[in-house]
Amino acid sequence: MKTLREIYDYREMIYMLVRRDLRGKYKGSVLGFAWTFINPLLQLAVYTMVFSVVMRSGIDKYYIFLFVALIPWLAMANSVNGGATCIIGQQNLVTKIHFPRQVLPITTVTTQFVNMLLCMVVVLLVCLFSVGLNLAVLWYLIPVILVEYALAMGIAFLVSGLTVYFRDLEHILGIFVMAWQFLSPVMYSVDMVPENLRGLFNLNPMTSVITAYRQILYYKTAPDLTTMATALGMGVLFLVVGWFAFRKLERRFAEEM
Amino acid sequence: MDDRMNRKQAAAAPETMIEVNNITKSFRVYYDKGHLIKERVLYRGRSRYERREVLRGISFEVKKGEAVGLIGSNGCGKSTTLKLLTGIMYPDSGTVSLKGRASALIELGAGFHPDMSGRENIYTNAAIFGLSRKEVDACIDDIIAFSELEEFIDNPVRTYSSGMYMRLAFSVAINVKADILLIDEILAVGDAAFQAKCFNKLREIKGQGTTIVIVSHSLSQIEQICERSIWIMDGKIRMEGAPREVHAEYMAYMSEKVDRERVAAAQREEQKEKEEPKAAEPEPAAEETAEQESTPEAGEAAEEEPEEEDPQKPNGNRWGSREAEITSVEVLNGNGKAQTLFDPQEDITVRIRYRSKVALDDVVLGLALYRTDGVYIYGTNSLLDKTGVVKLEGTGTIDLNMRRVGLNQGEYSVDLALHRPDGFSYDFWRNTCTFTISEKRSEVGIISLDHEWKIRKEKA
Repeated sequence: MKTLREIYDYREMIYMLVRRDLRGKYKGSVLGFAWTFINPLLQLAVYTMVFSVVMRSGIDKYYIFLFVALIPWLAMANSVNGGATCIIGQQNLVTKIHFPRQVLPITTVTTQFVNMLLCMVVVLLVCLFSVGLNLAVLWYLIPVILVEYALAMGIAFLVSGLTVYFRDLEHILGIFVMAWQFLSPVMYSVDMVPENLRGLFNLNPMTSVITAYRQILYYKTAPDLTTMATALGMGVLFLVVGWFAFRKLERRFAEEM
Repeated sequence: MDDRMNRKQAAAAPETMIEVNNITKSFRVYYDKGHLIKERVLYRGRSRYERREVLRGISFEVKKGEAVGLIGSNGCGKSTTLKLLTGIMYPDSGTVSLKGRASALIELGAGFHPDMSGRENIYTNAAIFGLSRKEVDACIDDIIAFSELEEFIDNPVRTYSSGMYMRLAFSVAINVKADILLIDEILAVGDAAFQAKCFNKLREIKGQGTTIVIVSHSLSQIEQICERSIWIMDGKIRMEGAPREVHAEYMAYMSEKVDRERVAAAQREEQKEKEEPKAAEPEPAAEETAEQESTPEAGEAAEEEPEEEDPQKPNGNRWGSREAEITSVEVLNGNGKAQTLFDPQEDITVRIRYRSKVALDDVVLGLALYRTDGVYIYGTNSLLDKTGVVKLEGTGTIDLNMRRVGLNQGEYSVDLALHRPDGFSYDFWRNTCTFTISEKRSEVGIISLDHEWKIRKEKA
């Protein structure tokens, strides 16, 4: 409770660091902040070319099918990869200044999610002109995003703390995140997974999150209750585990770096 | 009388802001740090590190408005103590408790982004110190004014010189309103003028009742700000008290240590020289034994060499290598006559006789003036006053002429030093001499200003 209070006192630091990360990232480049939007659009172009032209998937309006899942996925992937390095990359701060260490993973994840929200505007625009939007179910995006945020935060707490003690986690995570992308229904739908593996597949927390996004934006229906409940449960579980693990790991950060 | 004193003390009894209670801390020193999981798994359970005790039970208290300096040689644990105070690290045992908001000036310019303007970086940096936007808004003008960077404040900090960068960083750090200020070795920022400004700011902050703990190698900085010094050695408090007393002991100890090391090194040299010829000519063994038999007296004589009492044994008031040394000091009046009683506006000359065993061309002459009740009046050296380093060889005298001294009545003592620009002492001597200034007019204060009143009546 005391820690929460302290983090709240440092909200200005989180705000300033998120702002710095978002604005500082593209400072000096010609297109500047526009890269925030160009980057995912270019990725979308590449995937669409591969899966609509070369390896035809047979899914209608595949680029929308992919886009609505890709943007949330990238937020998660970047949170995990960024989370791994957010403590060890700020050695000067951690070894020299007192502040709640939770600020660093919170900043990393929040930056990614602010980024995602901005991209979501593009997603909604693309959807509007392509498949249309169902305003009645659109509000479901809010709980889904919050659940994904909690999930990403929990994982970031866990990996940021562990990486201080085991440095190769950073490299392992690079591979892990790639594998995770292919094991999540980002480029395909859950229906394509063989029946007998589906139970196992549903253990992946991102399965239900991405399915929910797709149901809202691509199929324009309300996400079903089981999907939402599973996603929520996973999100809360990871957040709690991550939080307490971080509390334990955090005590010797300054010495281990 | 007694009663009044007691009441005064009771009223002024300041609250304890920092309480450090018997803290210990040890670090793991890894033989070969296994950050890789493979190593962690393979060597599990084996002792891959040893514990090094850095702090072995330190306790002290700091009252409100007090300034305390932590001194000690490298690795003695003073910086660790400060890190435990800031909450960056946690003690293994014992407790640390701080009242109010603590701000640590350990890392300057934390979170600066080179592409952002100075102004934006002030906000980021201040946020890292835990300030809200409102609080920064309230003092941003002070911060900018203090940094003297008004013209450049909206330029990206990558265009700043390193001096400007540090000035900005320091301005933010020192303007953070805190109840406790913890400072680690960072008062060496910018040029002399800016340093002086930082010092004055620190005094001002202290005057407002902020509690300060400083870690520094610069003993004079600590003497200027702190009322108390804590000397930490091998993870324990070795001595605690008035800075001048503690520092004198500390310097004496350090120079003794240097001497011991030098002697040890010399002995090793000798040992080597002795061994080398033996190895080179192992043949004439017979002659050697004969010689040994024939000169038993010589051997005995060597053993009984009387132990000379070392007049240069360092004590609390004097230390240094003595390659150049002060042989005598005299206080003279303007006409070159020895005198100890002066008027406030009189010229005073301090005459130093020196002896230098070797030719030295890097000697800095230093002076510090104290009133005998411990008030630091003045300090300078030949680098600060732009005289530069001087050459000393053989024997001679150095006159320090102080014109129209302008001190008020009191007894004053003079510290003199011959040292290298890097601080290495040839001869550092405290209380070399004293003089007294008497004042018939009973004015008060530290200095005596040459003054007059002029009264003019305005014509009606």
